[in-house]
Order: sequence, then C-alpha cells, then structure tokens
Amino acid sequence: MAEEERKLSIDPATNEMIAKARVDGASIAFDRAEKMKPCPIGQEGSCCRMCSMGPCRVPAARNRDETPEEKARRTGVCGATAETIVARNFTRMIAAGSAAHSDHARKVVEAFLLTAEGKAPGFIIKDEQKLLALALDFGVEIGNRTNEAIAIDIGKLAMQEFGQQNGELRLTRRAPLKRRELWRKLEVAPRGIDREVVESMHRTHMGVDQDYRSLLAQSMRTALADGWGGSMIATELQDIMFGTPAPVFSQINLGVLKADEVNVIIHGHEPALAEMLAVAAQDPELIDYAKSKGAKGINLAGMCCTANEILMRHGLPIAGNFLQQELAIVTGALEALVVDVQCIMQGIQDVAECYHTKIITTDPRAHITGAMHIDFDEHHAPETAGKILRAAIDNFPNRGKNVRIPDVKTDLIAGFSHETINYLQGGLFRASYRPLNENIINGRIRGVAGVVGCNNARVTHDDVHVRLVRELIKNDVLVLQTGCSAMACAKAGLMLPEAAAEAGPGLRSVCEALGIPPVLHMGSCVDNARILIAATAMVKDGGLGDDLSDLPVAGAAPEWMSEKALSIGQYFVGSGVYTVFGVNWPTTGSREVTDYLFKEYEAVYGGMWGFESDPIRMAKLMIDHIDKKRKLLGLDKARERVLFDMEMRRSMEAV
Amino acid sequence: MNEKAENACAGSTVPVLGETFEPGKPEGKADGRWRQKLGTRAEEMKYLETAERYWYSKDWPGSEKRKKPA
Repeated sequence: MAEEERKLSIDPATNEMIAKARVDGASIAFDRAEKMKPCPIGQEGSCCRMCSMGPCRVPAARNRDETPEEKARRTGVCGATAETIVARNFTRMIAAGSAAHSDHARKVVEAFLLTAEGKAPGFIIKDEQKLLALALDFGVEIGNRTNEAIAIDIGKLAMQEFGQQNGELRLTRRAPLKRRELWRKLEVAPRGIDREVVESMHRTHMGVDQDYRSLLAQSMRTALADGWGGSMIATELQDIMFGTPAPVFSQINLGVLKADEVNVIIHGHEPALAEMLAVAAQDPELIDYAKSKGAKGINLAGMCCTANEILMRHGLPIAGNFLQQELAIVTGALEALVVDVQCIMQGIQDVAECYHTKIITTDPRAHITGAMHIDFDEHHAPETAGKILRAAIDNFPNRGKNVRIPDVKTDLIAGFSHETINYLQGGLFRASYRPLNENIINGRIRGVAGVVGCNNARVTHDDVHVRLVRELIKNDVLVLQTGCSAMACAKAGLMLPEAAAEAGPGLRSVCEALGIPPVLHMGSCVDNARILIAATAMVKDGGLGDDLSDLPVAGAAPEWMSEKALSIGQYFVGSGVYTVFGVNWPTTGSREVTDYLFKEYEAVYGGMWGFESDPIRMAKLMIDHIDKKRKLLGLDKARERVLFDMEMRRSMEAV
Repeated sequence: MNEKAENACAGSTVPVLGETFEPGKPEGKADGRWRQKLGTRAEEMKYLETAERYWYSKDWPGSEKRKKPA
C-alpha cells in the first residue's frame, strides 16, 4: 500500500477500495478533495453574497494582527463589517442544519399521525411505554384510551411545535430548571421550530440584523429549536413507531457485503423506508425472486445515519460511514444504493455509471440527475419497499466480473438509548443514573464526553475520531457517540465490552462490572437529543451540580463537515457544554466573533466553543475542562473521612 | 463461582469475584430487549414514575427541589 493512500484513511477496507477506484477510473471524494482546495475566504466566513452588490470578500490578515486601518477597510459595499458578515454566515449555516433535522422530524410526525390513524400500512405503535412518556410530556390524557387515540393527540401537538409563534417548545421542559431560567433570561428559549429558522434567514438578509452578538443569539435560539425541538421530536416519535433501542449485536464495514447475494444499501437519515426494507428483505417471495436471478438471498445493509437507525433497532449491519458511500459502489458487488435525504454525495451517480449499481432516490425532496426515482409514500410503504428490492434483484444479473469485497468487518454492540443506559444501571426495579454519578464522584470515571459528527475528506478518514476517543477512554472518560463518528470507532473495535482493556483502570472496572463497552453507540445525528437527555438525567439525579454546565462533560465533532454538525455543536454549547470542533473553523474571518464564541460564551451560557485539529490536543482540552468542572464540584481531591461521635451528632441536630 | 486473586492494598492477596458474563456472542433477537419485560400499561406507568422519576414523578426531589418551579 502506498504511503499516500494510508494518509487518506486509517481503515484498510477504505484504502483497498480507494486503490481499486483509481484502477477502475472512478472519481471519488478522496481524489476530488486533492484537486479542489477549499476557498480560503469562504472557509473563514469572510465572503458575503447576501446581495447582488457583491459578493464582497473581506479576508482577514494572514498570520499577523491587522492594523486598525486594515480592519476599518474590511467592509462590504453596504458597509457590513467582517464581524457582521462572519456572524451572518455562521447563523445561516446553523439555520440550514436546524432546518435539516427539523424537516426530518416533520416527516416523522406526518408518518406518526398516519400510523395512528391507521393509514400507514406496515407501521404500528411499537413502544407503548415511550408513547405514555410523550403523553406525559405533552399533557395528553392517558386514562383507558387506546394507544392510537393518544398518539393522534401527541402527533397533533408535535406538529404544532413547528408552526408555534410564541411561548416555548414543550420538550424544553425536560431540561434542568436552571438552564430553562437562563434561556428565558437571555431570550433564547425557542418559540417555534420554523419560526426560529425563518427569523434567522430574515435577520441575515441584507440590511437587517447588523450586530454580531444579536445575530449569534438568534443562531442559538435556532440551534436550541433543533436539539430540544426537531431532533428530539424525531428521536422520540421514531422510538414509539420503531422501538426504543436496546443492546444489539452487529457488524460494520464493507466486508458485510456478500458476494453471492443481492446487496442493497440504504443510505441517508430517515428510518421509515429502511424499516420497511428490513421487513421486505425477509419476504419469502422476494427471496425466491432473488434466487430465480441466481442469488442466494437479499443482503440489506445501512450507511450513514439511516444505518444507525436500523442498527440500533434491528442489528442490521453497517457497510460504512459518510466517506465510504462511493466506495461501496466501487466493490462492484452493490446492486442498489437506495437513498433518502442528507449527506448523500451527488458523486455516487457518477461512480455508479462505472459499475452496475442503481442509485435509487426515494424522497420527493431529494432527486439526483440520472438516478432512478421511486417515490416513498407511507400510504403504500410495503409495496414501495417491494418495488425497490425487485429493482435491485433485477440488477443482480448485470453484476460484472470486476468484484472485490474487502475482507474487513468488525463486531460491535449498539443500542444504548438513554432508557437502556438507565436500565443497565439498576434493572427494572432500581433503574437510575446513580451508579454513573457515584462513579464520577468517586473518581473511577473522570467525566463523560460526547464525540459525534461526520467524516471530512480534508483529514485522514476516521483517524481523528479514533485517536481522540482512545485518548479519552485511556483517561477514564466514558464516551457517548452518534453518527459517522460512532461508526469510525465501531470499525476500530471500541464498541465491544473487550475494548474496556484500552480504558483507564477506573473506567475499565465500571465497564467490566456492567458488561458495557467504554464507548457507547447512542444512534444517529438526530439522536444527539438522547445525549442531552442522558446529561439531564445526570443533573437531576444529583451530586453533580444543578445545571448541565456544572457537569464534568465535554463534546466534540472532530471530523465535522455538515451544517447540521454546527447546529448540534451550537445547541450543546447553549445547553452548557464545552464543545470542540476539528478540521477548520468557519468564523476565523473575525477575531471578535471567534473570541466571543470561544471565550465570552462561557460567561453567558456556561458552555463555549473550542477548536483543535490534533486529536491528542483536542482530548487534552476536553480533559482539562472536565477536570476544571470536577474542581468546581469539589471532586478534585479525596475528602477526609470524618467519623462523627455522639457529641458532634448532637451539635448537628441542634442546628 | 469464577474467582481470582488480586493484591490488596495491605500487600496480601484476596479472592475477588471475576467475570460473571457468559463467553461467546449473543444470538437471537430477544437478547437485550428488556423493554418487553413490562407487560401492562400499569407496569409501564409505574416504571416511568420510578425509573424515569427525573421527569415523571412528583415525589422526586433530585437536585432541583424548589419552592417555586421554574
């Protein structure tokens, strides 16, 4: 293997397929990234194209402090300062990310209502208990009503969250009391999901909000509408329809594809179609149809966050994360790549034309030029799933001889929803976050880190995720993961109980006692809402302060690339969590804006942003923050144990 | 019972409980599916009040007991 290829990824399956793609003449993101360097002005947020007097470019001075005269010259035609331009771009990115998660949620609510009304064949209310929990959250009467009647009321109220104009989103009531008071005081408590996104777009329009602090406050309200609104609604209603995740065993990497079966990968973010495909792939009639075409069966695998959804609930294997989507086609063994929304590279169509793979788009919001489109409609879900699988099966005889499936796959355990983590710490009768808090207080566990986010072709694939997480667990930090970051660590074997051997002695002892890995897979990117809930449970259990910002926790997205990641980061910061991003940072065009996010935010929100591209230094930043919080909680040193005699007890009672 | 010896802080060795999990990989869909143990709506509501007391129990003071709710 060439030195150059090893730098592109730490994953042997990925490197093998990059080499094959080059031999086959297929254009892949790894190579396009070499040819297309990032625009340095856009990267730092210094390009304003909000009106046709521009685009105006106001790049910051490189590697030196700018003079006051230089700073004064950095304005657009309208006079917008670099601060305003950078803050506008940052706010628009967050609005787009929040919109993506929340439009996903809207589709889930629509499917949920159809399910409750009996108009979505194949879908059922699967998790009654979660339905009851949501009924309590939304103030819906339970009594002796049917699940469907309760679900209709919940669905209608959930739908109102998008169009609500005033008040506060209902699920923000789950946040710690002190945090809610802070949001109210700062006027960033989200009113309605759509309202915050629309207002962000308005305020960043030419000639509206031109104070960076004001813009960033609105970006915070928009991000909180994502984390405690759209994403949380999506996660909760998906759990009700498809089941709340519980521990499940599976495998990951391109080696899950099978040479003698019809291989179908479902890629994207929304689980409804994937759920139907999972059922249809076991249909004896379709399996017989596959056999009639010379295959031994149908092999369904996932990619990106759709993969996380069906992994968490069914244990379906994962073919890979974001940067492996084109490489799955390069194997030459993929009959269909079925996609819905988000993180789908248009390049897959171009790669597919080098092989026999059919790209099948399924969502009316996401078409790709040249791809086959089969519209997924919840009214006819089983039929649509069958139609898609038949198209894949029909493509099996077209598979050529240029087939190579990397012999690389790794076992993993997933399914660590908040509910399951709670259950694992005490069982049905004593479920609790007390053991976690106790082990943080006694120092066996130093703190908790959420490591999430994407892949990015600008850094070595998976490398930053894996090295960061290894460093964290080595230092007794329990790691919670979602998204493509979780997949990177699963491929490295960190999501098995045996990985506790890589953890520090304290974390290791806790993992071995509970039988859990030191790195817990909590789901897809909307499931970052699960991390908010888990952290809130830690606060409410007691002993670690009374707000999320008191907890010895930190967050990171080491290989982020999408606007959704920025929205996630912003709502974690707004919830009080120190959050470090890698790769690059989109506000470096303004030192004032960057300092505000990286330094002053902590005094405002209790959480702040950080940036570091090196994983070991990133881990150090997070651990230092965790240690700072431990010190503030008085957990940095062993306290002297005082044995009380009777006189001391009497003096206490007298007080 | 699986026991192993470990060094105690005083220098002596003491028997401690070793791994209690069964070797091998889990098989079958039922593994790990703990939520199905809750059979009735009454059991589910009770579980919410106890296990998820942080949000669904009025008796739970936790870290946030206040005279005036936020």
